[in-house]
Amino acid sequence: MSAAVASRLTAVCRQFQRVLTVSSHTQTQYATRAFSTFHSCQQSRMYDSWCFRSPMNNRAVHTSCVRKGLEEFFDLPENWGEQTVKSGAPWTAKQLRVKSNEDLHKLWYVFLKEKNMLLTLEQEAKRQRLPMPSPERLKKVERSMKRLDTVVEEREDSLRLLQTGQERGRPGEWRRNVFGKTFWYRFREHPIPWYLNSRYKRRRFFEPSHVAPYTRLSLEKYLRSKIRKEKREKRNQKSLAAMFPKKTALASDH
Amino acid sequence: HHIRMISEGSCDTEDWSYDLGNPQLRIFRPTFNLTLVRPGKEQPPDTVQFRIPLEMTKFDVRNYLEKIYSVPVAAVRTRIQYCTNKKRNHLNQRVKRPDYKVAYVQLAQQQTFQFPDIFPEKDQKHEEGSVEEMQEKFMEDERQRQKSDPRRGGVTEWFGL
Repeated sequence: MSAAVASRLTAVCRQFQRVLTVSSHTQTQYATRAFSTFHSCQQSRMYDSWCFRSPMNNRAVHTSCVRKGLEEFFDLPENWGEQTVKSGAPWTAKQLRVKSNEDLHKLWYVFLKEKNMLLTLEQEAKRQRLPMPSPERLKKVERSMKRLDTVVEEREDSLRLLQTGQERGRPGEWRRNVFGKTFWYRFREHPIPWYLNSRYKRRRFFEPSHVAPYTRLSLEKYLRSKIRKEKREKRNQKSLAAMFPKKTALASDH
Repeated sequence: HHIRMISEGSCDTEDWSYDLGNPQLRIFRPTFNLTLVRPGKEQPPDTVQFRIPLEMTKFDVRNYLEKIYSVPVAAVRTRIQYCTNKKRNHLNQRVKRPDYKVAYVQLAQQQTFQFPDIFPEKDQKHEEGSVEEMQEKFMEDERQRQKSDPRRGGVTEWFGL
């Protein structure tokens, strides 16, 4: 069963591989543990049930728990001093949507730790005035985290719509500020009602009468810029069509 | 149970206000990033130095390290490093270097931490016929050419003959 599971795992996070290296470490040069029983190895917990496809590393499979906390701020020791470190593609939203909520929650922390490691590496590289190995990993992690956020938000939205019919998690409304601009005002929680809140009453959510002409002017400006943009686009297309007429294109095909 | 995993948007930019009787405020998917840095000044052996976001507090750092990294924390001290707004760009506009917060974390249980050397010298073997190997050979030749005659025994060219 474990072999089948191992074969299912195409690639595994650094976190898991670390364990195998950690168990052979009797004494590391930079972190000493006075009491080795600080972390109880939770072997029973199931990392093999995750069909985990990690973007991070294409390495052999190891399953065990992670001990040694501060080691996780650094890469695996064999990568230190390398010019480039191999890493896979970032997670796409499509791949993330297949995962359960628990998996996404755990994956978020995997991304977080990876990002912390990369930031540490970047800062140390700046300190030593050396190039950081494979800086594209940072972008990959950031994109994966953003996509995870999108997926979770989608699920939250759909759940909320089904259960309550509310479109937004946080209530708000359209209001006009002193400058005549309409904006989305998000409500805050207060222990007292608004008519007892003196600071709130000083905020004016209406435009004074002398500001009204300027709203009209800014609206006109906005419309003018929009029309000008469209006209420019059309003019561009026309000039391009004049440079590259369709007749010659068709003629060159045949 | 699933709903507990999802939070009301884990954005840390919300104003987290707490009133008596409300449930404990929690963040389900923190967006805080910690950067371990090499200390500029000599620090005691149990102290680890981090750069943390400005919005993070000592309690946040302690919980973060204990829960996510399972690192036992005895004490956390923080300070805010103000970075210059004096530098100017090619348009003579002032450019601000972003401020950051530094946390000095003391480990519990008499543990020590020494910042490791992450960029050790490694001799690389380039593959045959590659561009890097040719470049290396070229550089080696140049260096050899620049060296003075070994038969002169370290005497400079200034002395004639």
